[in-house]
Amino acid sequence: MTLYARRRAINLAYLALSWAATGVGLAVLFLILWTLLRNGIPALSPELFTTVTPPPGSRGGLANAIYGSVVMTAVATLVGTPIGILTGTYLAEYGRESWLAPVVRFVNDILLSAPSIIIGLFVYELMVVRMGHFSAWAGSVALAIIVIPVVVRTTENMMLLVPASLREAAIALGAPRWKVVVDVIYRAALQGMLTGVMLAIARIAGETAPLLFTALNNQFWSTDMNAPMANLPYVIFQFALSPYADWQVLAWGGAMVITFTILALNILARILTSGSDRNP
Amino acid sequence: MDGALTLRTGRRLGRQRLQDAAFRATTRLFAAGVLVLLGGIIVALAVEAVPAFSTYGWGFLVSDAWNPVKKNFGALPAIYGTLVTSAIAMVIGIPLAFGIAVFLTELCPPPLRRPIGVLIELLAAVPSIIYGIWGLFVLAPFLQLTVQPLLVSTLGELPVIGALFAGPPLGLGVLTAGIILGFMVLPFIASVMRDIFLTVPPMLRESAYGVGATTAEVVRHVVLPFTRVGVVGAIMLGLGRALGETMAVTFVIGNTHRIKPSLLAPGTTISATLANEFTEAVGDLYTSSLFALGFILFAITFIVLAAAKLMLIRLQQRAAT
Amino acid sequence: MSADLSTLSESIRVRPLTAPTRRSREPAAIEQTEPKVVVKDLRFYYKKFEALKGINLTLYDKRVTAFVGPSGCGKSTLLRVLNRIYELYPGQRATGEVLIDGRNILEPGQDLNLLRAKVGMVFQKPTPFPMSIYDNIAFGIRLYERLSASEVDERVEHALRRAALWDEVKDKLRQSGLSLSGGQQQRLCIARAVAVKPEILLLDEPASALDPISTQRIEELIAELKSDYCIAIVTHNMQQAARSSDFTAFMYLGELIEFNVTETIFTHPRERRTEDYITGRFG
Repeated sequence: MTLYARRRAINLAYLALSWAATGVGLAVLFLILWTLLRNGIPALSPELFTTVTPPPGSRGGLANAIYGSVVMTAVATLVGTPIGILTGTYLAEYGRESWLAPVVRFVNDILLSAPSIIIGLFVYELMVVRMGHFSAWAGSVALAIIVIPVVVRTTENMMLLVPASLREAAIALGAPRWKVVVDVIYRAALQGMLTGVMLAIARIAGETAPLLFTALNNQFWSTDMNAPMANLPYVIFQFALSPYADWQVLAWGGAMVITFTILALNILARILTSGSDRNP
Repeated sequence: MDGALTLRTGRRLGRQRLQDAAFRATTRLFAAGVLVLLGGIIVALAVEAVPAFSTYGWGFLVSDAWNPVKKNFGALPAIYGTLVTSAIAMVIGIPLAFGIAVFLTELCPPPLRRPIGVLIELLAAVPSIIYGIWGLFVLAPFLQLTVQPLLVSTLGELPVIGALFAGPPLGLGVLTAGIILGFMVLPFIASVMRDIFLTVPPMLRESAYGVGATTAEVVRHVVLPFTRVGVVGAIMLGLGRALGETMAVTFVIGNTHRIKPSLLAPGTTISATLANEFTEAVGDLYTSSLFALGFILFAITFIVLAAAKLMLIRLQQRAAT
Repeated sequence: MSADLSTLSESIRVRPLTAPTRRSREPAAIEQTEPKVVVKDLRFYYKKFEALKGINLTLYDKRVTAFVGPSGCGKSTLLRVLNRIYELYPGQRATGEVLIDGRNILEPGQDLNLLRAKVGMVFQKPTPFPMSIYDNIAFGIRLYERLSASEVDERVEHALRRAALWDEVKDKLRQSGLSLSGGQQQRLCIARAVAVKPEILLLDEPASALDPISTQRIEELIAELKSDYCIAIVTHNMQQAARSSDFTAFMYLGELIEFNVTETIFTHPRERRTEDYITGRFG
C-alpha cells in the first residue's frame, strides 16, 4: 500500500489501542464497584453500624471496626497534618536558602511511595516492642507517618502557587516573615491545603498493612487507645479469607463502605479544587 | 511625621525579629525531622535484622529454605516472588498506562477529559485490600476457568517458555498476583505519565501536527523523545509501588515459600510473607528473618524510587528551560 | 553619562515639542522642599547582570517624581531598591548608597521592617489580602501599634477616606477585599499603604492594570496625596507622567539619562534619547 495508507493504518492501530486501554481501565473500575455493590448491599443494614463483630456463625456488624478506623484516622490526621504543614512551609518559604530543602523534598517523595508495611514494621519496633503490647496509638502513629509526606507535598505546592506579588505586598508593609506566612499565605492557600488533607485521609482510610503489626485487631467494642483496636481493613482481611459465609458477607459490606467513603472524599476534594479555580 | 515612628518601639521590632527566627527554626526542625524519620526506619530495620544476617550471612539472600521449626530461613522465594510479580505488573501496567495517558492528552474529546481523568484517579484511590478481595473472589476464579487453561494448552505446549505456563490452573498464583498488581499500579503510572505529557510545550505539538503528522507520529517522534526521561521515571515510580504492595498480592498469591518455574504456581512476596507471618512468628531468629526481609524490600524500593525521582527532576529541569 | 543634577533647568531655545497642556508651574516652588531620598552611585545586579549602572538622583519631599523609560530600563528595579524588597530573592544585590533622611538604608545594619514602615509600596497588579476590607487595612496598622478597637476603626476610616474609597465601602467593610472591582482594589492597596503612616510612597505602574476611569481617579488621588508624602511613580504612560508629576527621570538600559522638572523634560529635553523617547521614536 502507499506510504500514506500505511501511516494511516499504523495511526489507526495506535488509536484503537489507546481507546482499548482506556476502556480496560474504566472497565476494571466499574467491575470492582459493581462487585462491591453486588456483594456488599446484602450486608447493608442498620445492624452493620450498631453491632460489633461477631464470632463465626452469629449475626453481627462492624461497629467496633468502623469506630476504630474513624478514630485512628482522625488521630493520625491530627498528628500528621501540623507536622506536614510546617515542613511544607519550610520548603516553600525557606527552600531557596539552604541545601536542606532539596534533600528533604527528595526524601519526602520517597517516603510518599514507600511500602506501607515497612512503616508498620518501624512503628512496631518503635512503639509496640517498647510498650509491650499492640495499641491504637501505635496504629495512629503508623498512619500519621503515611499522612505526613502527602501533606508536605500539597502544602508546598499550594503555597508556591500563591502569587509573589501578594507576598511582596505584605512584606512591603513591613510585616515580619512569619506573619506574612500565617496571616496572608496560609489564607490564600487554605483551600488547596484542605484538599491535600482530604486526600491524605482518603489514603490512610484504606491502609491495612501499617495496622497489621500496630493496632492489630479487637473482636470486642473498645475505646481504649492503649489496647489493640478493631479496624475495617483488618476485619475485611480476616473475614474475607475465612470460610464462614456470614463473615464473608460482613467483609463485603465493610469493603463497600470503605471504598465508597474514600471515593466520596476524593470527589469532594476535586470539587473543592475546581471551585477555587474560579476565584480571581 | 516622625512622631508616628516613635510609636514603633525598638522593642516591638526586636520581638518581631525573634519571632521570625523562632518560626524559621521551628519549620526547619520539622523538615529535618523527615530526614530523621527515614534514618530511623533504616536503623530500626537494620538493628532487628542483624541476628538473621549474622546467622546466615549472604547465604540468606540465595537460600530457598523456609522452615520455622528447624529455624532455617532464606529470602530467595520471597525476593523472587516480589520481582516476578512486579515484572508481570509492569508488563501489563505500562502499555495500558501509556495508552490511557495518550488517550487523555491527545485523543479524548475535551469535555470528557476531566471526567475520565478523575475516573482514572479514582481507580488509583481504591484501597489495595479491595483489589485483593476482588482478585480473590472475581479475577482468580475467572482466570482459573478461562484464561489459565487456555495458556496451559497453548503457550504451555511450546518449548522453553512452556515451562512458564505449566501446571494445574489454580487461579491463585504468581501470575494472578502480577495481573492484580498491574491493575493496581496502572492508574498511578497513567496519571504521572499524563502529567508528564502535558509538560510538552503546545507549540511543539502543534507544529508537528501542522506539517501533517498523524497522532501516532506526534506521540512517537515529538512527545516521547521530549519526555523520555520522565516516562522512565514514571515507570520506575510505578515499579517502586508495585514492589511494596501488600494486600493486593497477599490474597491471591498462594503464600508458599517455593520457587517454581511456572507462573501459574503459587509463591510469595516479601510483603505477603510479612503480612501473613509476622504476628505469629515465634522465636528471635524467625522475627529477625522477617525484619531482614523487610530491610531487603526497603533497600530495593528505596533504590528504585530514588532513581525514579532523579529522572523526574531531570525532566523538570529540561521543561523549565 | 548620568545627568548633571545640580543645576535645574533654564529655558533653552529649542523647538517646542507637542506636549499636553498643563497648568503652569513656578519653578521656584520646587526648590522649597527638602531632599528626602538621595541616591548615590547605585548599582544593582541580578546575579552577574548589571541592571542599574551607577544611578545618582534626589527625590524631594512632598513632590511626585515620575520614572519613565522603555521596558527593561531598570525603573522598577530602582523602585524596589528603595524598600529593599529585592532581599527576598537570593542572587540580587545592590551597591552604593541610598540615603533616606540622611541614613544609608543599604547598610547591613538597617532594620528592614522599620524601613518598610517608612517606605510604602503599591504594585502594578492590585493585591488585596484574602481578608475583609477592614482587616486589609488593619493588618498593617496592627503590625506596629497597639490600639484599641475604636482607634483602629478610626485609622481604617481615615485611610479609606484618604484613598477616596470610604464612601464606596463603608457599608461593606467586612466583605472580602477580593469582592471589589479592579480600580477599587487598587485604591484599597493605596489605603493599606498609607494606613501605616509612611513618609515615602512608591507606586509601580499603579494604574496600568486599570480602566481609564479608574486610572483618572488614581491620578487625582496621587495629586492629593502629594501634600503629605514623597512620591515616586513608575509609569509607561507618558501623558500620565506629564500630568501628574513634578519631576521626571528618564531611564534607559540601566542608566539615568536625564532628570529634571517635568515641564522641562517634556518641552525642552536636553538629551537626544530623551527627546526620541518622548516623541515616540522608540520604545
